[in-house]
Amino acid sequence: MKFHLHVGVIETVDETTLNEVLAVADCTERVLARLAPNLAVLEREDCEKVITALEGNGLHPKVMR
Amino acid sequence: MTDTAIKTARGFHTAELDLLSVLEVVIARSPKVLKNGLPNLAFFRAANAALHEPDDEADGVGFVQVEFWLTLARNLELLANADGQLVVTPEADQFFAISSGERLLRLRETWLAATELNEFALTPELELPALKKGRTVDVTSDVPVADRILEARRLLVDVVSSLDAEITLAQLLRRLEREHRNLFVNHDDDSSWRHTYYRGIRERGGREDVERDGSWQLVEGAVLRLMCTLPLARLGWIDYDPQSDVITPAGEGGLTEPSFEVVVQPNFEVVALGDRPDPSALWKLARFTTPRPEGRVRTYVLERKPFADALGRGEPAAGLVDFLAGLSRSPIPQNVRFSLDDWATLSERIKIWPDALLIEAEGVEELAKVVPEKLLQALQPTQLAGGHYAVPAPDPGVLRENLPPRRAVLDYSRRLAPVINPTEGTDLLAPREELHLRARQLLALVSHSRSTDRYELDAELVTLSSQAIGGEELLRRLREGLSRPLSSALSLAIRTWAGEFPRPYAGGAEVLLAENREQAELLDEMPEFRRWVDRRLAPGVFLLRPNGTIELRKLLEGLGIELRKDARGR
Repeated sequence: MKFHLHVGVIETVDETTLNEVLAVADCTERVLARLAPNLAVLEREDCEKVITALEGNGLHPKVMR
Repeated sequence: MTDTAIKTARGFHTAELDLLSVLEVVIARSPKVLKNGLPNLAFFRAANAALHEPDDEADGVGFVQVEFWLTLARNLELLANADGQLVVTPEADQFFAISSGERLLRLRETWLAATELNEFALTPELELPALKKGRTVDVTSDVPVADRILEARRLLVDVVSSLDAEITLAQLLRRLEREHRNLFVNHDDDSSWRHTYYRGIRERGGREDVERDGSWQLVEGAVLRLMCTLPLARLGWIDYDPQSDVITPAGEGGLTEPSFEVVVQPNFEVVALGDRPDPSALWKLARFTTPRPEGRVRTYVLERKPFADALGRGEPAAGLVDFLAGLSRSPIPQNVRFSLDDWATLSERIKIWPDALLIEAEGVEELAKVVPEKLLQALQPTQLAGGHYAVPAPDPGVLRENLPPRRAVLDYSRRLAPVINPTEGTDLLAPREELHLRARQLLALVSHSRSTDRYELDAELVTLSSQAIGGEELLRRLREGLSRPLSSALSLAIRTWAGEFPRPYAGGAEVLLAENREQAELLDEMPEFRRWVDRRLAPGVFLLRPNGTIELRKLLEGLGIELRKDARGR
């Protein structure tokens, strides 16, 4: 068990969606870890970039702040 | 309930709706906070337009009410400055969840203790050249400091609470002048030449400070008039009728019962109808819609983003739809209901914690069994794919209290310790227990795993990664991620793989060596010579193109110059 504080976490319904989400924000290469096929961990700034990119594309993810 | 009690209660109800309107404008606009700490003028105009009785900006009154409600909202922490924008906080949800009576008490306490609010500055009839930026008072001025204002507020509340009958505001002001002349400014020494003027206090548009003699009503009277008509009347201490100028002490009897309904229209607009809307219900509505408080009818537009934001705050989609249906007398139009369901489904497909505490399960570990119950109860994390947990980053104190003993927290808001150790060869050592996600990312970019703690640098991976994120970035990460600098050999290898260095060449080459600088320059000036030179390696050293030796030998022999057979002696 490890505690990672102040990271960005993205979980999607499936792997394809996660790949698309990361591609939309151009963050595929910036992922810190893929802990599961549909679960990615990023730096916080990159995660905000993902949210902005998704909202800019008319997608509104569930954002837990 | 007596007539006065009804009037007082309605007065406070209107005040609550005004506060709600200001907060709704914040939701709708997310205004930028300027350097002076206040939102921009556009926000003030919009918020003023949303009030029950807006101030008249053209009259020079400014936005007294908006400033008043904004200060109370900030002091109650209903609003916060987040990344340069004014936003509503979760405390606002709690504030509107309590009863109207409790809200009244909290607003009263907040006003009585508000040091940032200076009613002298709010009074439209006065100008205060002594009031500096940030509302601090010049020491040589007569503008009262915060403590004096607080005392005056309490005294004024005591005075109006002790009223037992109606009184005109003018009468009250005369009584205050008589009995509490020094309420804000000390007048005991007005005969002194030093106290001829109210220092730093002018009439609006005036060119000089107001003379003290005979001006109490003009200065203190104006401030007290504002205090009576705004905080005292709006926060239910008195009932004030502006037409007759009469103040009635607040009646006992409680608060008004809400009476309203909403109409959900097929164009996604939700219209609140009724003269006594419930501020709690309207606030809940405002939190998952885009409110439009301006105008006579309160309208809330159902949109995908605020709806998804509400889901992110933990509101269940079905709960929001039921809440909306509960407020509406007629059923929600089918297209609206379908859209809300659709938005909820789409939002649930992508869940993001932008600033999270991630509890990672390692190997086959089952977190549900190993994470202490106390921690789960305190943080209530969400279980993710692979058995990991995530929760919005908690307060450090809460985390410290509930963390299992001897467990370290890797804080990614800081630079983490470098945990990868380079060896003499191409192996990297990284103990699994110490590995954080940044180190793991780096290892994945440049190496493949050989055993639990041992990784081997991979030239192909380094090349691919440097193409993906840029060679410079990759090398920066390597420098930051390694516990000690790379050996020269490894540094050369990695920088070459990353494309920073072109690959070196070793082998035969055709060169021409000139023996001195002038000889080299003369050769270089000959076009026939330059045709066979690939590049100049050093002064007097020319790398030749293939067959350059044969051709240049012919060229120079044509000039009667025979080339040497070996390079020794240079």
